[in-house]
Amino acid sequence: MTEKDGYNLRLYVAGQTPRSVAAIANLKKICEQHLVGRYEIEVVDLMKDPALAQRHQIVAIPTLIRQLPEPLKRIIGDLSNLEKVLVGLDIRPT
Amino acid sequence: MSESKRKTPQPPLFDDAQETVEAIHRGIVDAVVVMKGSEGPQIIMLQGADEPYRVLVERMSEGALTFGPDGVILYVNGRLCELTGYRAERLVHRDFATLFEGEAPTLAPNISLEASLLRNDDTSLPVSVWAGPISIGDSSATLVTLTDLSVHRRAEQIAAAERFSRSVLEQSTNAILVLAPDGRITHASWMAAELARQPPVGHTFSEAFPLEAESGTQAGTLAHFSAASLDTLLATKPFHGVEVRLQSEDAGKRTFLLSAGPLLDDTRASVGSIVTLTDVTERKRAEEQLTMLVAELNHRVKNILAIVQSVARQTIRSSGSLANFMHAFSGRLRALAIAHDILTQTRWIGIGLKELLTAVLAPHLSAEEERVTMEGPPVLLSARAVMPLSMALHELTTNAAKYGALSVRGGRIDVSWTLTGGEDQSVELSWRERGGPKVERGTSSGFGTVLIDRVITYDLDGTTKIDFDPSGVRCTLTFPLRDQAKSPVNTPRSAID
Repeated sequence: MTEKDGYNLRLYVAGQTPRSVAAIANLKKICEQHLVGRYEIEVVDLMKDPALAQRHQIVAIPTLIRQLPEPLKRIIGDLSNLEKVLVGLDIRPT
Repeated sequence: MSESKRKTPQPPLFDDAQETVEAIHRGIVDAVVVMKGSEGPQIIMLQGADEPYRVLVERMSEGALTFGPDGVILYVNGRLCELTGYRAERLVHRDFATLFEGEAPTLAPNISLEASLLRNDDTSLPVSVWAGPISIGDSSATLVTLTDLSVHRRAEQIAAAERFSRSVLEQSTNAILVLAPDGRITHASWMAAELARQPPVGHTFSEAFPLEAESGTQAGTLAHFSAASLDTLLATKPFHGVEVRLQSEDAGKRTFLLSAGPLLDDTRASVGSIVTLTDVTERKRAEEQLTMLVAELNHRVKNILAIVQSVARQTIRSSGSLANFMHAFSGRLRALAIAHDILTQTRWIGIGLKELLTAVLAPHLSAEEERVTMEGPPVLLSARAVMPLSMALHELTTNAAKYGALSVRGGRIDVSWTLTGGEDQSVELSWRERGGPKVERGTSSGFGTVLIDRVITYDLDGTTKIDFDPSGVRCTLTFPLRDQAKSPVNTPRSAID
């Protein structure tokens, strides 16, 4: 993402585990509410390729990584706590 | 969460590790990544993480189970419970092999086998069994799926029945048609297609098989039906065996029985009809022949009765006593019987003259002593000639046995015959006796000579000449060989007083 204030987010999941599925749904909802037009999401299924976990040293699944804007941030869990996600990603409520 | 100030990925700090533990504790993560030596990162599911798979397995349309290395069943899905009729608690911990009738299938990875799955009602179900290895934790297990083949089998049976029905329809020697309720032909047997004026499927019966209304059969019954109403009749009403002829050069010479019956579905509702055209030409021909034969037999029986009556009446006139009558009459009946036997055996075709002579003279023919000689060309007597000639020869033989050459030892009879004339050939038969007692004129006069004269003159259009020569009777019978226009069914004129 080249836009200055754009969000590049990567979500690590493990197949269709309940928390992975919940994290995908929650992230999509949050972005649509607070980052409309300013985000890009990439979902990485570690069940298909566990080696991809090494890049961001993922330990627990699901884990969300904010790649942009810097600095890199990480949120562990299914993203069900909205307030924590907004704080963690440094998103100001619109 | 603590905010990291580093710009490049770093190993999780203590905070991250703590957060991870907390997340696991709160249940908001359900998998973790662990490093496993040289194999690199591995995903470990936490408790409950296999739930989606469990739902999938529970909802799948095939039976599924896992069993451990010792063959003990560890898990069964709902579908397998349905297939077996047992609840899961009754299946788990059972030995896998006990699920099947007979020997358990010998499983091999990723190969499907057929087996009979036992049910709780003592029946069995054909199943296809697939197996593959899986790991549960640190131990190995086998995953098995079972597919119900009964539906597949039923479909195969239905398909086989369909093929059989079609083959019956196709190969029947009768013309068979299936009609839709609107009267259009939907199926036609091979024979029906052969008989039809045009390929019958898609047409109405009356288009494909126009009937010959002018024939002398029962087709006239159907003639007052219009084509449309005939088609409706065939498609809706059952009827059997109406004789028809078709408007066709080949088939038109043949007679068919037209029948129709409703075609019902499972709810007994009519979905069309089956129409058959049975070729009964040969049967009709045989029936007609039988009718003709019975009529002819009636005539012949009447004729024989007339002959018997006539012979009886005339024998009475010429017999001095009851004993004489009995002797003469039974001899003449025997002559009639011999003639009748010959006609029956030769199917009323006729017999050779020599064969007839042999049959009549049989009691006097002996291998040791030749008392009768026969000489003449082959002559085939017609059926009409057999009975009168048999009677005439019987009279001559009886006379010879009583008074003539056959009444003493050393007596001889020479029978010879010649054919004379061109197209209308006549037979001239000569009967000469010698070596018998001296013949005195009038010795054998009476009904014998009268009968000979009557049957040869009236029934064979011939002539008789009897000469009572003292050295032996000489008789010459002359009669046309060719069967005259008189039918054997007519009463012989000799029997008409």
